[in-house]
Amino acid sequence: MITRISNDTEFRAALDGLDPVRQRLVAARFVENVIALCADERIARVLRVAGNSEASEDELAEALKTARATTFDCHTRCGSEGDWSEQEGYFVARAATAALTPIGQMPSGPAWQAALSSRMAQTSRSIVTGDDTAGQEGTKQYRILSEFLDS
Amino acid sequence: MSASLERGLNAFKEQIDAPVAAFFSSCVRCGLCAEACLFYTETDSPKYTPIHKLEPLRRVWQQEYTFWGRYAKLFGLSKPVTDEELTDWETLVYDSCTMCGRCSMVCPVGNDIAYMIRKMREGMAAAGHAPPDLIGATQRAVTIGSPMGVKLPALQAQIRHAEAELGFSIPVDVESADYMLLLSSMEIMNFPEFISAIARIFKHANVSWTISSEAFEATNSGIQIGVSEIAAELVNRIVTAAEKLRVKSVISPECGHAYMAIRWEGPNLIGRPYTFKVVHILELLDDLRAQGRLKTTGKEMQRLTYHDPCQVSRRGGVVQQPRNLMNMVAENFVEMPETGTMNWCCGAGGGVSSNERADDLRLKAFNRKKKQLDAIHPDAIVSACSNCRIHLEDGLEEYGMDMPVLSLTETIAEHLVDNERSGSEE
Repeated sequence: MITRISNDTEFRAALDGLDPVRQRLVAARFVENVIALCADERIARVLRVAGNSEASEDELAEALKTARATTFDCHTRCGSEGDWSEQEGYFVARAATAALTPIGQMPSGPAWQAALSSRMAQTSRSIVTGDDTAGQEGTKQYRILSEFLDS
Repeated sequence: MSASLERGLNAFKEQIDAPVAAFFSSCVRCGLCAEACLFYTETDSPKYTPIHKLEPLRRVWQQEYTFWGRYAKLFGLSKPVTDEELTDWETLVYDSCTMCGRCSMVCPVGNDIAYMIRKMREGMAAAGHAPPDLIGATQRAVTIGSPMGVKLPALQAQIRHAEAELGFSIPVDVESADYMLLLSSMEIMNFPEFISAIARIFKHANVSWTISSEAFEATNSGIQIGVSEIAAELVNRIVTAAEKLRVKSVISPECGHAYMAIRWEGPNLIGRPYTFKVVHILELLDDLRAQGRLKTTGKEMQRLTYHDPCQVSRRGGVVQQPRNLMNMVAENFVEMPETGTMNWCCGAGGGVSSNERADDLRLKAFNRKKKQLDAIHPDAIVSACSNCRIHLEDGLEEYGMDMPVLSLTETIAEHLVDNERSGSEE
């Protein structure tokens, strides 16, 4: 039977039903879908680890550390002039961090948080361009998850 | 004497009110404030003794408002405050003080040193001795309405994002709502999930609320830099919007100094009482809890601790409310040593985080927070200030400590009973 996810309720329920490794793998796919919005090459390297089902605990820990450091480097500091195009990269880095965070360390679950941060990256993009296309990222994620569940 | 120095010294004189004069004349030079300041304890440098940071202001008080000081000045026996001195003091007043008020708590004669630093910054700014980064933030706050340059279209985009996630609309410019929510630019730019968390909680608790499109910014750079006219103008924008919408209360969000500005300094700055109440978001959430309108399910099993934002807990008095809320969602809530009103600052408040040249010192001072955390080894830190949150993340990264930092409001939202995650159909 072909999986068809069409709203966030189904989306979250499906994510919650995944074991930790599969949550990480699908979270990595969500981030890959917006990776073009992040200029920092560290995130691409981190994602290769997140998307590898054979990654060791040490590799995952190191990747998480790198993702966190990148997130911090990309954020807009309090009181400084914000640049929404730079925020795109910040949210992609946050999504990568979420993907690598062990389940139980964040209340909302890593895959959901990675999905949300990826959408926020697109929202930042829409603020830069003025296009109201940010909402489409959610639909793309439904398709990514559906394909992942069927694979 | 340069015109800017004259302006600064005149501002110092104007700032020396009865409390400041009483504080200076009461100081017994015991040095206890030093041990209460993380910039002193983590550097061992006497120049970071809080009362010492006020030395130029103290000398102006002595020379202008005491008998022997005026006598000495008349006969050229005292050293006038110079522009060079103020240049030296700029880093002490802005880089090594977060106005956290811990020094005020330990002073044996009850001197509110943080209050005096706030006053001294007025003179420093008037004399042209404020950090360039804070000047930039303040200019943006005045001209754009946000120290980070966040404009209404950006907020609207974040609201649309939240609405798509939530499946229901977020009220904007609704008249006669019970509450008007303010947001910090940090929340809009770095932590927009705060908006959806609030919306979910308010829907769950059936709270009547709105956001104003004309005054959504909670922060107040005028207070941080020390320019009361600007601080008053920023407060006035909120007051005007709240009165226009005829709301009963204004909510200060997860931002420490914003609460200090709008709740405690605001009425004095604009010279009249508000026609509405001001509550911190944690006060409101705890009130909803007490009324039985905030119901949560399940608990975080990891060891969680709570970092008290100084302006919310120590200066603002919101101490028990976050603990009540933590107990709703944390199975293993552990307190750091020296918490609540005696908590140690994250090191980034009072404009320090806006001030890039202070980064090295700020991170050095974070060692005090590390010591607190090392005493209890939590799995995660919960807080209620976006600035604390980002700086805690920075400090943890700097010291190689692996633990996430969570928002208390967002954590509550994740545990709501019948948590309607989304109704959006695409």
